[in-house]
Amino acid sequence: MKILVMVKQVPDTATRIRVAEGNASIVTDGIKWVINPYDEFAIEEALRIKERLGGEVVVVSAGPQRVEEAIRQTLAMGADRGVHIKTDEALDSHVVAQALAAVARAENFDLILTGKQAVDDDAAQVGPLVAVFLDVPQVTVVLKLEVDAEHQRLVAERELEGSIEVVELPYPAVITAQRGLNEPRYPTLPNIMKAKKKEVRVESLQALGIVPNVKVRTVSLSEPPERPAAKILTGDPVAAAHQLVELLHAEAKVI
Amino acid sequence: MDFSLGAEEKLIRDTVRDFVEREVMPLESEVLRNEREGRPGVSPHTLKVLQRKAKDIGFWGINTPEEYGGANLGSLATALAFVELGRTFVPFQFGGYADNILYSATPEQKERYLIPTIEGSRRSCFALTEPGAGSDAGNIRMTAVKDGKSWVLNGEKIFITNGNEADFAMVFAVTDPSKGAHGGVTCFLADRDMGWRSQPIRTMGEWDPGALVFEDVRVPEENILGQEGHGFDLAMRWIGAARWAIPARAIGAAERLLGMAIEHAKSRVTFGEPIANRQAIQWMIADCAVEIDAAKWMTFKAAWMADQGLDNRHQSSMAKLYGANMANQVVDRVLQIHGGMGYTKDLPIERWYREVRLFRIFDGTDEIQRYIIARNLIKGNVRLGED
Repeated sequence: MKILVMVKQVPDTATRIRVAEGNASIVTDGIKWVINPYDEFAIEEALRIKERLGGEVVVVSAGPQRVEEAIRQTLAMGADRGVHIKTDEALDSHVVAQALAAVARAENFDLILTGKQAVDDDAAQVGPLVAVFLDVPQVTVVLKLEVDAEHQRLVAERELEGSIEVVELPYPAVITAQRGLNEPRYPTLPNIMKAKKKEVRVESLQALGIVPNVKVRTVSLSEPPERPAAKILTGDPVAAAHQLVELLHAEAKVI
Repeated sequence: MDFSLGAEEKLIRDTVRDFVEREVMPLESEVLRNEREGRPGVSPHTLKVLQRKAKDIGFWGINTPEEYGGANLGSLATALAFVELGRTFVPFQFGGYADNILYSATPEQKERYLIPTIEGSRRSCFALTEPGAGSDAGNIRMTAVKDGKSWVLNGEKIFITNGNEADFAMVFAVTDPSKGAHGGVTCFLADRDMGWRSQPIRTMGEWDPGALVFEDVRVPEENILGQEGHGFDLAMRWIGAARWAIPARAIGAAERLLGMAIEHAKSRVTFGEPIANRQAIQWMIADCAVEIDAAKWMTFKAAWMADQGLDNRHQSSMAKLYGANMANQVVDRVLQIHGGMGYTKDLPIERWYREVRLFRIFDGTDEIQRYIIARNLIKGNVRLGED
């Protein structure tokens, strides 16, 4: 199996996000960058498939220089090589998906895995768009994946509200991973030491033939309003209950 | 000058951090409970399971040479790993380690002592200190007298780390009283079943070193480690070989503790305001942060110097002295910020408080470190303004 895993580097979920001057971006100084947690499930699944069926796991990511660190981390987890689409431009999901699809098209992958969404912008666009650009089937929000290499088919279980949908499809295909698909492994020390020597090919949008025709522009960002201090009702429980109902109706306007 | 870590070093740090958070920290309340009830915090079985889990991801023998299956990491990478291990008080260490001087063993001794120690099937202890000889190791009194094909050892050792658990001791004895430390001291590999006994010494911390008693213990002559009369050189090679490892652990502990104090200060409200708004608390937080940062760069520099093949003994002593004192200052302030809660056994602060006190004593007391540092400067071994 030749598997491509598409990863995005995002701010650590524990980062305190601040809006940068101009209200169109966030302050990136001092941010700890990590691999999008959903993409980690995709990497783990790719590595497990490779361990079962053999083949190769290639990781691709788009972004500035710092993204190389995320790619190296996947190599330390056991991926074979990386492709870094190096760009400092602010891109939208559409352009990123075009670039990733171009990388995927250049080599024939059997399977393309990624997270169901990135936890920074939560757009959940890239996986499906890549499937469209490559004209291959896709299953999103996958909790379980089985590969039938003999018949070149996949069985994927995806999460729906309150139920599980089982999808059977041929591959090549795009699969996006949901939490629960697996438990990502630790990088191993030998792989950490080897990661430096593994290949990370640097690509550019231009070399991939992508004109960054950005269709989505961030108009403004604002911090969520600060939560007002809680009001604590004390005294007689019956009176407090009446007061609570009154407040929920008149002040919070929720009943 | 570049203060940033390499990609490899960052990955090692992040992986150990992840491992400690996911596998080791969850044991903390159990460890506290066990210790309170007089049992070892981590049972030998639990430790083995954890070490095996770490081994599965290659964290085993991290400083052990590759020909013995280790990863042979550099000093800086090791220091980074130790900082992460220091974030928890659970006494966990990666397996696959053997004392540096065991590598001086003969091929036959390696089979019996070095390799089983690396593999974890045998445990060693380094037995130099005596009631009348610590860092002044030249004063040891334990004697070894040749009798036929063996040596007969008599004397006492104290404060021996792992002395109660060890299967064998690397024990130092006077073999030629006329020669003094240089030439008169020899190191022996003495199995416990050759007849030495150990007794735990209760301490204010949670680990008990051992007192070792040798009464006419016969050690075969082939069990001399290194050469007869060269024991002092071996001892000096062991002492201080990784002195920077102590402040490395101290940094991890101090960062964890300061984090706890900041959280507490933000949530504890007095007179209508969180105590984090009080300058008295803020100053304590600031002083902790400054000292942690200073200790960190002193320690990383000492480790980095070792990786460059530079003589780092002066820097190591400074890092150990400062880092040990930093940890004591930080834990004291953190306890103070927690007020009464900090003094209870419900929180691990008091436990850390007792543990870090040792940092100022073992592997050379504060006073020995100061002596080394001052002597280097007075003798001109180290020149000011030239680093």
